[in-house]
Amino acid sequence: MLRYVLSRSGRRDLADDVAQETVARLVALSDTQQIASVFAFAFRIADNLLVDLHRRERRLSDALDSDWCSDEPSIDRILDSRRAIGVLDRCLRRMPPLRREVLIRRRLNQESCRAIGEALSISAKAVEKHITRGMIDLRRALDQAGVDLMGQD
Amino acid sequence: MGGEEYDIDGQAAHWVDRMRQPLQDAETAAAFDRWIAEDPCHVDAYARLTALWQSDDLVVALRSAEATPSASNDDEDVVPPARRGLGWRRIAGAGAAAMFLALGIVFGPGLVVQQASFATPRGATRLVALSDGSTIRMNGATRIAVRITPWSRQVSLEQGEAYFDVAHERLRSFAVDAGGARVSVLGTAFDVDRLDQQTRIVQVFRGLVSVDAGAGRRWRLPAGSGLEVAGDRVRSLRVGAGRPGWVDGWYEANDTPVWQLVQRLNRATPRPIRLADPALGELLVTGRFQTGQPVAVLEAVAAIHDLHWRVAGRGYLLSR
Repeated sequence: MLRYVLSRSGRRDLADDVAQETVARLVALSDTQQIASVFAFAFRIADNLLVDLHRRERRLSDALDSDWCSDEPSIDRILDSRRAIGVLDRCLRRMPPLRREVLIRRRLNQESCRAIGEALSISAKAVEKHITRGMIDLRRALDQAGVDLMGQD
Repeated sequence: MGGEEYDIDGQAAHWVDRMRQPLQDAETAAAFDRWIAEDPCHVDAYARLTALWQSDDLVVALRSAEATPSASNDDEDVVPPARRGLGWRRIAGAGAAAMFLALGIVFGPGLVVQQASFATPRGATRLVALSDGSTIRMNGATRIAVRITPWSRQVSLEQGEAYFDVAHERLRSFAVDAGGARVSVLGTAFDVDRLDQQTRIVQVFRGLVSVDAGAGRRWRLPAGSGLEVAGDRVRSLRVGAGRPGWVDGWYEANDTPVWQLVQRLNRATPRPIRLADPALGELLVTGRFQTGQPVAVLEAVAAIHDLHWRVAGRGYLLSR
């Protein structure tokens, strides 16, 4: 769990807490709910906790007086975020148009693989392949640029 | 080496997309759990691709790509095969850069998790107000560490005694770990005393607390009750109304061993009392003692048990 939170968020300072809280909630919920995939469920709890934390942090850092507290980390994060968008944007423009189209439909429009396949006249299997390949392309582009998605959700 | 890594990323990407769907059949779910449990690298890859797939940045980039679909520069896409060999070294460099960034964040100020430690010397008490509205009054010679997160409030009592007045919150519990006894509440007032290596005393003045002494031993204490846990021995206590006596400088002994009385006095005075013989500590005393007046207390104890006391060094020595 700790490993997931660390890799997911890059936040060593929060990872222990988030992992611990996730397990606690998992245990509490497992009494009343039937859980098909323990890991998927736990990861989703952790994701929600992280989203929650980032929202709070953003609110807190907005509220802090800049004279009183240096907000360098959050400026760093804003810059990181801009760089990340730049890298992703470039990578998207460089990939085959069909793959880009599949990613847009899947991630932005939440279309099913079958619907995407029908619209673009390719098999659902090919759609899946494009999604997988596209995700890896984007991840690699970030890694090569040395940009990480920290505190992102 | 590269091939294997690509494989893991490929599988991870496949799972990230699949597990995003609201419904999975039991078979898929089980297969996912098996895959995750197989190898810690799978967790890493899955987490990293989830971070990408869920990020706001990706949504922004996709929107912009959607808005200007024809602006693609496919010519830039051509990577000469000769440069491919350099790829891995560059990825390693990027990894190092990412690591550096991660370290930078680690030492940044924690905005959400608040952590602090407080200590008092002998003879001084201190009132600590927490951000959630709770207050902790620390007795002398006491050390606590506080950790407040959005979902938990934790205090570890590392030494000494403290009186907790906890602001009520419906969801976020407040826990005090006294090493060997753990008290958790939602909103109450109680005192935790870490008397010696193994003795822990919990007294409840308002509300209801739950005490966990490990090994499946758990109690619920309502206001007006208390508990003394010393190793395997457990004794229940009755607690007066109001707040613990030491807050106002009093200690009420009720067939209390002298060593416990001395321990309490030593928190309240900068001049510690020592016993010439440890056996003296087992004598029992009853009465109301003013903790800020060690001389008066020594006089009383000496009179009860026919003992003597004298100034020794920077403190006092009690002997036969």
